[in-house]
Amino acid sequence: MKTQEDMAGLIHPLAAKYLRTERLPHKACPGCGIGQVVHCTLNVCEDLNLNADNTVWVQGVGCSSRISYTLWKGDNIDAHHGRILTVATGMKMSRPDLNFICFTGDGDCCSIGGNHFLHACRRNLDVTTLMFNNSIYGMTGGQVAPTSPVGAKTPTTPYGNMEDPMDTVNVAIAAGAAYVARWRSTDFKQLTNSIKKGIQTKGFSFIEILVPCPTQYGRYVLGTSNPIEVVQWYKDHTVTLKKSEKMSPEELKGKFLLGEFAHNEDRTGIVERYWDAVKKIQDGRK
Amino acid sequence: MSKAIKRKDFVQGDEAIAEGAIAAGCRYFAGYPITPASEIAECLSKRMPEVGGVAMQMEDELASIHSIGGASVAGMKAMTVSSGPGISLKLEGLGWGIKNELPYVVVDVQRAGPSNGVATRVAQGDLYTVKYGSAGGNNSIIAVSPMSVQEAFNLTIECFNLAEIFRTPVFLLADETVGHTRELLEIPEDSEIELVERKKPTVPPEEFLMYPMETPEVINYPYPNIGEGYGICVSPYTHTSRGYATEAEKDHDKMAQRFVKKLTENLDLLTRCEEEMMEDAEYAVIAYGCEARPALEAVKQARQAGIKAGFMRPIIVWPFPDEPVYKVASKVKKILVPELNRDGQLSREVARAAKGQAEVYHLGSGGVETHQPSQILEEFKRIIK
Ligand code: SF4
Repeated sequence: MKTQEDMAGLIHPLAAKYLRTERLPHKACPGCGIGQVVHCTLNVCEDLNLNADNTVWVQGVGCSSRISYTLWKGDNIDAHHGRILTVATGMKMSRPDLNFICFTGDGDCCSIGGNHFLHACRRNLDVTTLMFNNSIYGMTGGQVAPTSPVGAKTPTTPYGNMEDPMDTVNVAIAAGAAYVARWRSTDFKQLTNSIKKGIQTKGFSFIEILVPCPTQYGRYVLGTSNPIEVVQWYKDHTVTLKKSEKMSPEELKGKFLLGEFAHNEDRTGIVERYWDAVKKIQDGRK
Repeated sequence: MSKAIKRKDFVQGDEAIAEGAIAAGCRYFAGYPITPASEIAECLSKRMPEVGGVAMQMEDELASIHSIGGASVAGMKAMTVSSGPGISLKLEGLGWGIKNELPYVVVDVQRAGPSNGVATRVAQGDLYTVKYGSAGGNNSIIAVSPMSVQEAFNLTIECFNLAEIFRTPVFLLADETVGHTRELLEIPEDSEIELVERKKPTVPPEEFLMYPMETPEVINYPYPNIGEGYGICVSPYTHTSRGYATEAEKDHDKMAQRFVKKLTENLDLLTRCEEEMMEDAEYAVIAYGCEARPALEAVKQARQAGIKAGFMRPIIVWPFPDEPVYKVASKVKKILVPELNRDGQLSREVARAAKGQAEVYHLGSGGVETHQPSQILEEFKRIIK
């Protein structure tokens, strides 16, 4: 008979080492890109030796989070919808020695948690945030998100979305994030590298991942639930930062840029500043 | 036996709460400025770094309560404070604390509402808010209410101890009058203060159940923190004993029962009332928090006027002291309940607990000012006629 560990090995060679095999297979829909992000993260675990003693897995609410929650060996802390970065603030300030890897979604991070997102960037809180952007509310049934394109017809925008999507990457940069990158979930190599860099960067790291969601985004916005067609759509609607330099604004219209947008380690963050100040204040009292 | 005193000072109730938190071992504070609770935040912003703790001014009330939840998971004794509409916002995070059995303290310095109301003035409108404000029911909330500056200090420590014993968020239900009153505060030597520290598991991680649904030990149960190798699972979803999400009715009901049983099975630890002149009383006044002060004075004056009056004050207001109130009701004919809201919150609880043993009368006010002893006495005389 095959054990849980053997079965996990069939899913991913690193699964049994880093994941709770009793929680597999995870609950993502067929063709969803979330598993690809888990794959890249597993590779990072191996490369950086992330384990239960040095890393805490933090989640919000939504597909990104529910699917990765209680999946990891070690501590799994799942916050209320939108509050992931505030819970992470409390934990990181209390335990600056641990890595915190936060899995959030576009609704979780930019909509209901938007204010917290801005302030985590501004404080330059030393945690790594992976924002899964499927441009829709997946778990609740495909409602419009602050990242959905104009015109998107969804159950709550039956006449088409009248609002522009948020420019998440530029928001993160303007608010002060130390490291900002965007990739598709299919960009294994670049994404793995970025997650690694994010963890190694002192300060707030924001990695946006375009995640194909055939079940909701495909169905409502693209008119197809075929995963291959959805992945193709992302291929057609993304362009690397480098390539974009040679393109006109017309050519870039409706396209996501991919790449690293900020990497600034000159500015210290709240964790370092606070604990340095505590040291000084305490020394001053001696 | 008198306690050894470390420091004597003439301070506000808000400052006493801050000092109480420090004395209790609180080392993580997060808040958002709001009258009349801001002084607590200001005091802790200065004090926390001195004692090697964290004080954060967060971007909003939601962030404050969730960040103390995070700090609690990380092993810190943690606290947030607020008032009025800030408390309404905090309630969003409270469910997460209840559900994950997080020990932490929330201070509500009650002010006159609804909404912004009269921000700088007193009220007692949050008795039900703190207990039932978190949506979904099945809660384990404890609330403790001080009537003086010294009590603000002592009971803040008590709140932290109860939070650890019961693994639950605990409210210090203060009010603007207590928060802004200046009185003598005596801070005892550290050795005189009894503290409850978080219990750690004694079994290896594979055997440890974070939220044991089958065990009768609903309190004094160990709580490992992040980074201790126990692989803890904390989430907003109904969970199994290990912390895995479940939607099974029986699991959910077991969890709900666990939360409620924490209180109902340990009422001996959670019953704290003060009584004066009750031995031969025929009429009683029951009040809590700042209103207890004019109420007690009114009872003393009633005695001088020859009325057999008695006084009772719930100190732990949630769980409500049903048994002691019933005893009072069984003894007296009529009970007057002065309180600073027009809803009749405390009087409704008193009437419920009295089970018809005595007639219960509500003396309300919208807040802004506490009642004068003379107003309470006048109403008392009127109802006993
Ligand atoms: S709804 Fe979309 S994002 Fe959510 S799991 Fe399914 S495919 Fe993935």
